[in-house]
Amino acid sequence: MRRTMLYLPGNNPNMLTRGHLFGSDGLILDLEDAVSASEKDCARVLVREVLKRGGFGPLEVTVRINGLDTPFWRLDLAEVVPAGAAGIRVPKVDSPQTVRDLDEELSAVEAAAGLPVGQTAVFCLLETALGLWNAYDIAKASPRVAAIIPGGEDLTADLRTGRSDEGTELEWARRMLIVAARAAGVDALDTVYPRVADDEGLRREAAFVKQLGFDGKSVIHPNQISIIHEVYTPTEKEIETAKKITAAAKEAADRGLGAVSVDGRMVDAPVVRRAEYTLMRAGLAGEAK
Amino acid sequence: MRGDSAEKAAQAGTVESMDCLVTITAAQGERAVEISGSSAGRFRTAMEKRVLETLDALGAPAVRVSVQDNGAADVVLGARVEAAYRRFEGGCAK
Repeated sequence: MRRTMLYLPGNNPNMLTRGHLFGSDGLILDLEDAVSASEKDCARVLVREVLKRGGFGPLEVTVRINGLDTPFWRLDLAEVVPAGAAGIRVPKVDSPQTVRDLDEELSAVEAAAGLPVGQTAVFCLLETALGLWNAYDIAKASPRVAAIIPGGEDLTADLRTGRSDEGTELEWARRMLIVAARAAGVDALDTVYPRVADDEGLRREAAFVKQLGFDGKSVIHPNQISIIHEVYTPTEKEIETAKKITAAAKEAADRGLGAVSVDGRMVDAPVVRRAEYTLMRAGLAGEAK
Repeated sequence: MRGDSAEKAAQAGTVESMDCLVTITAAQGERAVEISGSSAGRFRTAMEKRVLETLDALGAPAVRVSVQDNGAADVVLGARVEAAYRRFEGGCAK
């Protein structure tokens, strides 16, 4: 599950060494915006050592590297990939070629480190109008791509607007990104909610993106995690319905039947898939089979 | 570049909580390690060991390492020593 992926500043030992305790589904150790140009070298070493130490439990630990238009990204990969980063979050992806360039470099780093080539996942930040327009091609540019993520501040700036409370300016971008992600078979993860003291605003936005189909949100403050998890956690009623549906589907399959009825509603394959996804989000994936 | 290293110093880290500020300068003869700050009393031996192990792994010559500690974990200390030494080696004193 990727309901919440928490950004941790890459040169902040306090956050890097405690970040896994806040209960997010994943971590993003940030070498990009959270680190000044003069401290990139220090942060790279620190993030590498924190990765090597491990101890993150079941969390998916990724690293946001510097963009491919900077002199830093190859240095970033050389340090963090052999150290065990599960994935690389890459900023400002405009085209499939960016992903292919990253894929090629990742393969070289993995091979040199004796790691299975292809094991490092890629999370693409689409932070420009062009990147968003190319979303499907970007998501299909490499089998490494695990998710695409719309930009927040950068994307709205590129769209020549700013972020509003209602999120009107990002609504179409989010809808488009969902379609591209589902068509390409990758996750759709939402951008951060920047107003860290506005719990209700976060709750509204999380509910909205969940309804659109997003798999989760990026998080910039530990206090945001539980709110998003609440939104993404199915209700007791949803869980009971999902259990009924998966049980009916299993029984139908055992008896060689196709669609069956549950509580007066036809249950076919898409409904079963949704029910299985509900149980997965409830932490009951084992009951989905 | 080694010839003028006596005048240069390189630093990495901060004095923020759970961090340490490491300063490296050239030394004559043997390596020297100075540790001050919040953990120095209780963990001096372990911290000195980590500093020296890190310098060994980097193949560092005789240098003087000063650590101003504010509760840095072992992994943070090692990372700061390495970063400071790399800056020292590269001549990019900070």
